[in-house]
Amino acid sequence: MMNFQSCVDIKKEWDIVGARQLGRERAKAIGFGTVDQARIATAISELARNIYLYAGSGVICFETIDEIDRKGICIIAEDNGPGIHDISKVMEDGFSTSGGLGAGLPGVKRLMDQFDIVSDQEQGTKIRTVKWVPQRRF
Amino acid sequence: MDEKLREIVLEHSDTIVKKWLVEVSSERMNDYPSAISNELFESTNREFVNVIFTSVDQQEITSELGDFSERLIKLGWPLSYLTDGLQAFRRVTIDFLLTRSEKVDTDQFASVLDMVDSWVDPIINQLVNEYSGNWEHTLSMQQTALKELSAPLIPVMDNITIMPLVGTIDTERAKLIMENLLDGVIKHNAEVVLMDITGVPVVDTMVAHHIIQAAEAVRLIGSQCILVGIRPEIAQTIVNLGIDLRKFPTKSSLQKGFQTALELTNRKIVYTKKDDDIENLLDSLDGE
Amino acid sequence: MRIPILKLHNYLLISIQIDLDDKTAIQFQEDLLNKIHSSGATGVVIDLTSVDIIDSFIAKVLGDVVSMSDLMGAKVVLTGIQPAVAMTLIDLGIHLQDVPTALDLEQGLIKLRQELED
Repeated sequence: MMNFQSCVDIKKEWDIVGARQLGRERAKAIGFGTVDQARIATAISELARNIYLYAGSGVICFETIDEIDRKGICIIAEDNGPGIHDISKVMEDGFSTSGGLGAGLPGVKRLMDQFDIVSDQEQGTKIRTVKWVPQRRF
Repeated sequence: MDEKLREIVLEHSDTIVKKWLVEVSSERMNDYPSAISNELFESTNREFVNVIFTSVDQQEITSELGDFSERLIKLGWPLSYLTDGLQAFRRVTIDFLLTRSEKVDTDQFASVLDMVDSWVDPIINQLVNEYSGNWEHTLSMQQTALKELSAPLIPVMDNITIMPLVGTIDTERAKLIMENLLDGVIKHNAEVVLMDITGVPVVDTMVAHHIIQAAEAVRLIGSQCILVGIRPEIAQTIVNLGIDLRKFPTKSSLQKGFQTALELTNRKIVYTKKDDDIENLLDSLDGE
Repeated sequence: MRIPILKLHNYLLISIQIDLDDKTAIQFQEDLLNKIHSSGATGVVIDLTSVDIIDSFIAKVLGDVVSMSDLMGAKVVLTGIQPAVAMTLIDLGIHLQDVPTALDLEQGLIKLRQELED
């Protein structure tokens, strides 16, 4: 079951900060601890920056996932940019076309629990990533 | 109608109680705590049935019920004792009410069932809630205890803290350990943390990876990590697996690690020389 | 938005207390290098106690600032990185290997003094 979708347009540099602040608030409301809040906010920051740098504009959406046995946050980053030529390449640590640390996408994958990416040259890139609230172990 | 039924039941409470006691006693099962004597069992039964009648009489959940269940929880009586008892009460009461009237039509039958249900169900709910509330409480306390136990942080001296790791480390525990470690470093203002893996039975690539990550995170927040308690077989596995632990200092024992920690914080152990004291004493005696 | 840089003897003290966006981070890098140049400072403490997010870009800017200041003869110490931030950086694979760190401003100043004396 998904609900409460909310989206942030990424057009300006400042939108990166706006997106991660909103994401952190949502994560807090869902019940994530401070460390996971930082992980989620950082992942959003990386995704938003990728949109800003490579596609120019796009949108980041948050969804609360509330299933019977687990809760989580789903982040969807979508743009209509030029797409990614070689997905396996950008998922390598240390690969960067912008002179950054090359930690962006593989980093996001490590920060989150689930990570899917679809990209082609006509329709742009769509990344869907999920983090689950840690389960209480019985 | 309802009032009448209630009055009948209260009026004939003795008969119902008798029947109930017979039924409950026959149901006494082996899984009740053996410490419960027959006398205690009987007196508890009597108290139980009184509590039930009080709440039927007052038409609400009474504080007696709360006190009673609280005591049973403390004594470790099983929840099934209470639910079985209430179900027996339901059977006995319905039976009693129905056999009293000569002819029973469907309407009357239904209203009796409804009535008795409305007495018994709130009590069952209340008891189940109290028991499960108690279990949840115990569970959360145990979880907290386990959490604290699994990665304690011991400040031994200003700015030096020890974290002994005991038991198998999996990913989830590693995360917990890292959080505890970092929070503890800040809390104790520790310049050096000694991570003691003497009690970790197996160090494979995954465990080593977690330890390295923890040590690096410690460095990022501005402290230093020394890995101590590396037994010979662990040193062998680490090198054979090709794990690089050279990025931070390692020592074979906590003792050696502690000395390094003292050096890092510009301190050393000074022995107060007892022998000298005695010589001084002798000298001073000679002088007289 | 600009981050204030305070001068104390030979040291520069910076406490970052806002959610850094890219422009502010770059501006800060420039301001700090200019300040090192104009003041001749030999030590810099950047306190990150109130920063609750450092992503790969900001980490890169901070790492660069340290290397650049080093080139200009000023040692930089990062202090007060929060546990949550440290764990996130490790997850990202950013270890800031060559960046000196300290628990807080006080320890940072002690560390600077030690390094500058050596």
